[in-house]
Amino acid sequence: MNEIDAVVYSMGPSEFLGVNEPDKWCVDAVGGRDKPFMRIHTGGATGLSAAQAGFHHVAAGLFDAVLVVGADKVRECKDSQQVLNTIWDPLYERQFGLTTITMAAFQAVRHMHLYGTKEEQMALVAVRSWGNALNNPVAHLKGHITVDDVMMSPYYCWPVKKYDMCPSSAGGAAIVIVSGKKAMKLSTRPAWIRGCGEVANTVFLGDQMGGRAQMDFADSDVLAMAATAAYRQAGIRNPVKEIQVAELYAPFTVCELSMVEALGFCRKGESGRLNEEGFFNMNGEIAVNPSGGTLCANAIAITALARVCDGALQVMGKAPPKMQVKNVRNAVCTGEGGSFQFHAVMVLSADYY
Amino acid sequence: MSHRVAILGVGMTKIEGAKKDQKLDDMVFEASSKALADASVTREGIDSVVISGCDELDGRCISSMLLAMPAGAYLKDEIKVTDEGCYGVILAAMRLMTGLFDLSLVISWCKTSEAPVSDVMRMRWDPFYHRGFGMNHITSTALMAGVYKSQYGIPMDIPARVVVKNRKNGARNPNAHLQRPIKLSEVRSSPVVSWPLRALDCAPESDGACALVLASARKARELKRDPVWLAGFGWATDSYYLGGRDLSKLRSLGIAAGMAYGMARIKNPLKEIDIAEISDFSSYHELMVYEGLGFCRPGRAQDLIKEGLTDMEGVLPVNPSGGLLSSNPFTASGLFRVCEAYLQVKGNAENHQVQGVKRALAHGSSGFCAQGNAVFILSR
Repeated sequence: MNEIDAVVYSMGPSEFLGVNEPDKWCVDAVGGRDKPFMRIHTGGATGLSAAQAGFHHVAAGLFDAVLVVGADKVRECKDSQQVLNTIWDPLYERQFGLTTITMAAFQAVRHMHLYGTKEEQMALVAVRSWGNALNNPVAHLKGHITVDDVMMSPYYCWPVKKYDMCPSSAGGAAIVIVSGKKAMKLSTRPAWIRGCGEVANTVFLGDQMGGRAQMDFADSDVLAMAATAAYRQAGIRNPVKEIQVAELYAPFTVCELSMVEALGFCRKGESGRLNEEGFFNMNGEIAVNPSGGTLCANAIAITALARVCDGALQVMGKAPPKMQVKNVRNAVCTGEGGSFQFHAVMVLSADYY
Repeated sequence: MSHRVAILGVGMTKIEGAKKDQKLDDMVFEASSKALADASVTREGIDSVVISGCDELDGRCISSMLLAMPAGAYLKDEIKVTDEGCYGVILAAMRLMTGLFDLSLVISWCKTSEAPVSDVMRMRWDPFYHRGFGMNHITSTALMAGVYKSQYGIPMDIPARVVVKNRKNGARNPNAHLQRPIKLSEVRSSPVVSWPLRALDCAPESDGACALVLASARKARELKRDPVWLAGFGWATDSYYLGGRDLSKLRSLGIAAGMAYGMARIKNPLKEIDIAEISDFSSYHELMVYEGLGFCRPGRAQDLIKEGLTDMEGVLPVNPSGGLLSSNPFTASGLFRVCEAYLQVKGNAENHQVQGVKRALAHGSSGFCAQGNAVFILSR
């Protein structure tokens, strides 16, 4: 801890814990006392935003080693969806009883409407994620499930079913970001942060659909903007060829289908079919969520930070044996927060240049 | 600093007790629009938006969701730091120093009139050790004031004179919430709210929003501006557990100031700084901040007040704007301090302008008993 110069605390909505500003409470537990310390909070994207802020601490030339850390216990609240209803504006959209589940249903319906995506194709995302999670000792949910299991699970809001959704989890995560010079001394195979991007959309769902909308709710166009910035910094021109692993913050199965399109892994509307062909499997073109991803564990404050952890493990060749993808040069990690409103991207690479 | 950061403009709403005619998004839009206009840049040119807000006081569990848009962040690279508003300046400055961004908007707000402030504060305590005491922001500030008072034997008139000074300054600031100057006798006779704090020793609760436009040195040169430079900044936190802290000292403020002074190459702050805008949650707190910032030795802040060194006419005027004792939009107060320091260096502070300001200090503070502190040095 003496070598850590500053701490960034990754903490999303405090209402799940029932302690306001819990970052202040946790200062001592994470060794932040007497150090520069700040909390980042961008909803679900928090962990990735915090990792970016940690990167900015070091890339600004102010610090040599920064700890990015956080923890969450979503299940300590009575009903996380009741809390999440309060992310919407009380004057316009809150009264509709919006929750993240009903919001995801909107996206699923749009994706089905525009691209003919089938419920079974979404179900297959859950099947693959649960299967991948079997190789991840720290995943919350895991198992051999089938498309039928997902299809038979109860509807929470059509077409979103129980297995299409992430769980409420408890967990902590941390990364250490150091300057290039220090990294060369400490590690023979670090993961280099090569590109970052984060873009905000409007909060209002009504402005993200229909004739006057600049983009459609089915598509994660804002993620595409953030990815474009990150890829440019990282020098990535052909994501399918150059990226081997994607760790995505996709809390619902439809999100993942929309996100892989936005990240340039395929054209819009193609993800359902490619998913069926095994394109995103462990041994496919790009392994998407070898960890099982958000569908298998969602401790909101650190879920996106866990994506960075899992991406870094892959790049460093340190992932658990069966979870490790072969020959990973580049991994892309994402975080998504609000009403699918904030999208953050980080590209990690085995190569310095 | 390897890469310098410039401040091009600021925007502030009028600070009031209760902004009845404006919703939160209206306030934020007003502040961001004013900052862009003051900096003579358009929203299109902004490539980084840093927001700082307090969810619990807003009554939304992700406050930036609504306010990112009125802040100007639609389809922009945006991030939120959840602390005192001035932490936004720290993060925005670091982002500019990476060379990845050129022009940044920083914004914070607080609408205390619509929030159950005391309840929100009590809920900040952990449920196991502290919450049972029922302390809020005022009683915890009083606890700190009490320790400080007994440690150094501070006579009652000293903090009262701090109040008189700040309220006198605030009366000259048209943007301040409380604009009536008060007499020493009024402070003395105001009721004790939490010993040793009397009602007038405490900052009020106000509504307000403010924003700044920051630029990389490259961008400031390109735009041919005569900016105010962010010459240094520092921040640090203390322990959460009050029982393990020496409440007569602001330990983390000393660390934060050391970092900021190091960057700005300041050795003798009392001599080298021309004005300071500090977060004085109470009159006693202002005295403790003098000591944390190294203006004097521990316990000797009373001498500065006795000799009038921090009056408008003194060697180091503190809070020419009136400080928090005149206006306190709570979690945005520190960012307001940075805005006020900017106005002083720029020479745009009108009625409360101090003459010949070349270097100004701004200070923000957050958490119980000032757990976290941030210090900024602005210079010509």
